[in-house]
Amino acid sequence: MIRTHVHGDVYEVVLARAEKRNALTPDMLGQLCTAIGETPREAGGLLLTGEGAVFCAGFDLSLCKDAPGGEVMRALLEGLHRAISALRRLEIPVVVGAHGAAIAGGCALLGGGDLVVTNSDAKLGYPVVRLGVSPAISAPFLRRLAGDGVARSRMLENGLISGREALVCGLAHECLPAPDAVRDFALEAARMLAAKPRGALAATRRWLDEISPIELDVEALHVSTALAGGEEERRLLPQAWAAR
Amino acid sequence: MSNTNQLAQLTLDGPVARLALNRPDARNALSLDLLGAMHQEVDRLQSRAPGGPHVLIISGVGKSFCAGMDLKAVLDNNRLALELLTSLAEWTLKIRRLPMVVVASVNGAAIGGGCGLACVCDLAITHADSKMGYPEVDLGVCPAVVAPWLVRKVGAGRARKILLTGGLMSGREAHACGMVDVLCESASQLDETVESVARRLASGGSNALAATKGLLNQLDGSLDDSIVMRGAQLSAQVLATPEAQSRLRAKFSS
Repeated sequence: MIRTHVHGDVYEVVLARAEKRNALTPDMLGQLCTAIGETPREAGGLLLTGEGAVFCAGFDLSLCKDAPGGEVMRALLEGLHRAISALRRLEIPVVVGAHGAAIAGGCALLGGGDLVVTNSDAKLGYPVVRLGVSPAISAPFLRRLAGDGVARSRMLENGLISGREALVCGLAHECLPAPDAVRDFALEAARMLAAKPRGALAATRRWLDEISPIELDVEALHVSTALAGGEEERRLLPQAWAAR
Repeated sequence: MSNTNQLAQLTLDGPVARLALNRPDARNALSLDLLGAMHQEVDRLQSRAPGGPHVLIISGVGKSFCAGMDLKAVLDNNRLALELLTSLAEWTLKIRRLPMVVVASVNGAAIGGGCGLACVCDLAITHADSKMGYPEVDLGVCPAVVAPWLVRKVGAGRARKILLTGGLMSGREAHACGMVDVLCESASQLDETVESVARRLASGGSNALAATKGLLNQLDGSLDDSIVMRGAQLSAQVLATPEAQSRLRAKFSS
């Protein structure tokens, strides 16, 4: 469900579950963390992309059907937290090529990127409160990516925005006309970053983490996991699989 | 009221004060002497009695706004490099603490530390074809002094993209990413645009402006001197690395 490739200085990690729009499962998130942990020492940039029509449609909520106690939801939330944290902890810049759609957990992954590339008609957002799920886990990362106001509106408003709108509000840094162009553009950007003086790049990245640190991420995870398997989630979550 | 021989010229004109960087032959690159003059002139402004200017406009004499730190002179001497970076850090803190609204009139290139000058101001105005940005990482240097001001100006996410990707952007792109607040189409319209913004600002109550700026400073951490001062040390450290030294020497010899 995760593939990796080495393109010279760039290490590419690919969400590879195209038949399910790269919907995330606990196993897949585990593989993603492993792949990030195995970043080659000589790599100068990591590129995160998705195979198929879209980057990532979020959690595979159908797996929660058979776990009314919320075990699967908790595993998904914890896996997502580990994956974003692992991206943020890397010493090298991270480029995310988010074509087509980056929804809920898929949108959360953008918070692990230094540079986010998308396309004009992509759908991005975090419509999960209507399912009784709290996106709190992503708040510490998304507010650093796009600012407090944008993080607030994306997580609470329940709707999706286009790639064009994401560029304006800061959720994405580059927006291309066609979804097919996203991955190549992102690969070029990762190559460009990997070719820069590594010492200065690493020092600048560490300094930015120091002056704008990720705060309260463990507490935020707990806010999300505390609701998993609760009455509200059990009542509202079935809409998710009814809709598919 | 102004002294034309100085590297930095302060002109006082009722509610609007102007500070011009006046080292056009070096594209207003920040040397110890230029920064020294900029400190002196801003100190004169600070010492003025209440009822002084409500607005300070900063611009560059000649074609450039400011080409950045004059690193050539301090490349061999890390003590001087630290002195230069510390002087820039202290000057940015001084600008942020001024009780008046500070406007950058970015008349041409604003590069590296020069772009930092624009971003520490409360408002930045430029034209579509100016060149702005932070190419420090391309030279093996870390833009640590100006990073906190860019983060406060455009947010942490956009600052990461801008500082890590390096290079330069047009005034129009700078406006699109929030580094510039007011954009005019051509260089010939800049003065007029700056004047109209300054007039509007000067018509506001100076106490209200000062109180609002003071509150914003508290909210966004602008009064935390230690971050910017540590930035100066980090920047000097990275400047001393072989990576930075070899890149800069290659640039200066070309």
